[in-house]
Amino acid sequence: MDSFFARYRNLLVLLAVVLAQIIGLAVQVRRTDSGRNTLDPRDPTGVRLIRLWADAVVTPPEQIFHATRMGLVGLWQNYIDLRHAREQNQELQKTIDRLRLEQASLLEDARQGQRLQALLDFQQKYIYKTLAAQAIGSSGNDSSKVFYLDKGSSDGVGRDMAVITPDGIVGKVREVFPHSAQVLAINDQTSGAGVILETTRIRGILRGDAVGRPQIIGILADQRIQPGEKVLTAGGDLVFPRGLPVGEVVRVQPDPDRDSFIDVIVKPAAHLDQLDEVLVIISTAPRISTEQQQDMATSEALKGAEAAAIKQQQRASQIMAERLPGLTDPNVPPPANLTPGQDQATPPAALAPAAPKLLRPLHPDRFTPGAKPQPPQDKGPSTPAPPERNPEP
Amino acid sequence: MRVQGENYRRDLGIRSYPFLVYALVTLSALVLQAWLPHFLHGHTWFDLPLIVTIYFALSRRDPIQGTIMGAGMGIFEDALTNHAVGVSGIAKSVAGFLSGSVGVRIDVDNFIVRALITFLLSLLSGAIYVLIYRVLLGMDQEWRGLHELMKAVGSSAIAMVLFPLLDMTQIWD
Repeated sequence: MDSFFARYRNLLVLLAVVLAQIIGLAVQVRRTDSGRNTLDPRDPTGVRLIRLWADAVVTPPEQIFHATRMGLVGLWQNYIDLRHAREQNQELQKTIDRLRLEQASLLEDARQGQRLQALLDFQQKYIYKTLAAQAIGSSGNDSSKVFYLDKGSSDGVGRDMAVITPDGIVGKVREVFPHSAQVLAINDQTSGAGVILETTRIRGILRGDAVGRPQIIGILADQRIQPGEKVLTAGGDLVFPRGLPVGEVVRVQPDPDRDSFIDVIVKPAAHLDQLDEVLVIISTAPRISTEQQQDMATSEALKGAEAAAIKQQQRASQIMAERLPGLTDPNVPPPANLTPGQDQATPPAALAPAAPKLLRPLHPDRFTPGAKPQPPQDKGPSTPAPPERNPEP
Repeated sequence: MRVQGENYRRDLGIRSYPFLVYALVTLSALVLQAWLPHFLHGHTWFDLPLIVTIYFALSRRDPIQGTIMGAGMGIFEDALTNHAVGVSGIAKSVAGFLSGSVGVRIDVDNFIVRALITFLLSLLSGAIYVLIYRVLLGMDQEWRGLHELMKAVGSSAIAMVLFPLLDMTQIWD
């Protein structure tokens, strides 16, 4: 036996190491309801610990490398920029003047739109608080489209927060560490973002394919989808706010797995392969300005005063109704043969109070209560029957 | 390429390296593997942890060391992705084991031989990676032949430059 272990020691060590890792893999994979295997989005404690250690080892050198690189790049760019600073300043001043005029009109429109949406109680999410972060590294694996930020939980970054650039959406925070965060890009195979085509208003799910191209899946074949159409976020995934640019349609191809479905290949608006600075949306709570708050308070106050007036009118109507004489005599004692379970307020039809006696009219006609219906006189076949009248409430 | 007997390893001096070299080289490989693709527009046409694993396994001529080092490197790499932890670990364990086993029997001082071994083991590692995903985990993972070929070529090219540099740090017993 000893000679067996000694002879196959190397192989046995390999088998033991491989077996241990297979067992580790088994606890990370789960079967979905549709019968497919997938990775658990929430890592087990041991796996999360490994990821935490790996991040703790890799992130500090990456931050140093990144800071050094950005410093050198900034130094060079500043030198180049300074060479034409005067001309650029003049051009920029003209641009600022023009943009100020445009901004004034746009700001008024935006304020009006936000006020209207707040008043209509739309549950739309707004981007209100973002955190600028630097992309400092990648996963190092082509099939894993994740990258790392230099901001973590200590800076307010949390799981499932949207990551964007001014050009468009980038991804969402997958894992958070104390001083860094892992972001899952929209072109990863395991990502998923709700999107909508701008013109045709067709909704779908955006995710990456095997080579890292974003594509919209789960769309029925539709001739209206054409290359060049803009793609926006739909806002239904609880990650990305609605209306952010995603990209534009490059081409449409049939879904290889499902008949009558198509895959829409999208060119992302953000440069996913050249990310330096990104924005993390750390708060999507509705922002209401002071002016809007005053408007809403006024609206609430007016609504409250109106409700009070209506209530007062109802109360007055009840008092008037009590004071006005009715057809029933309130002094008449209730019938004695009521069963114990019956309510006096709702007497049965058989016990309804008798109709008051009316004076006999001097000249009764067919509308007089109790008069016998007269046979219709001969007015010709074209005379329509009198319409049945509904009693007024 | 000279094929030697099993006892040839004993006849050769066993190469060893200062602990600092082990630590710095492995750490640098892991950090650079995560950092460099950020500049290369996301393209990863090399596998530095695999190159380092192969180098130390070949030089030490020790399959057990190659296995354990490959497992550690692979698990570390997996931990930086959103994939299951252990897939690269298994692939690199096998690569490290084979490197150590080959080092016992073949004269690996020739840099062309070492580059060729790196090329083949890079392809094998990629194939094992996809195989584990498809067969063991039952998940979709596409085999990108051209990409794996480019990666193997890139790793071999880096190995041809890096191995002689690392040879300069060795200690002869």
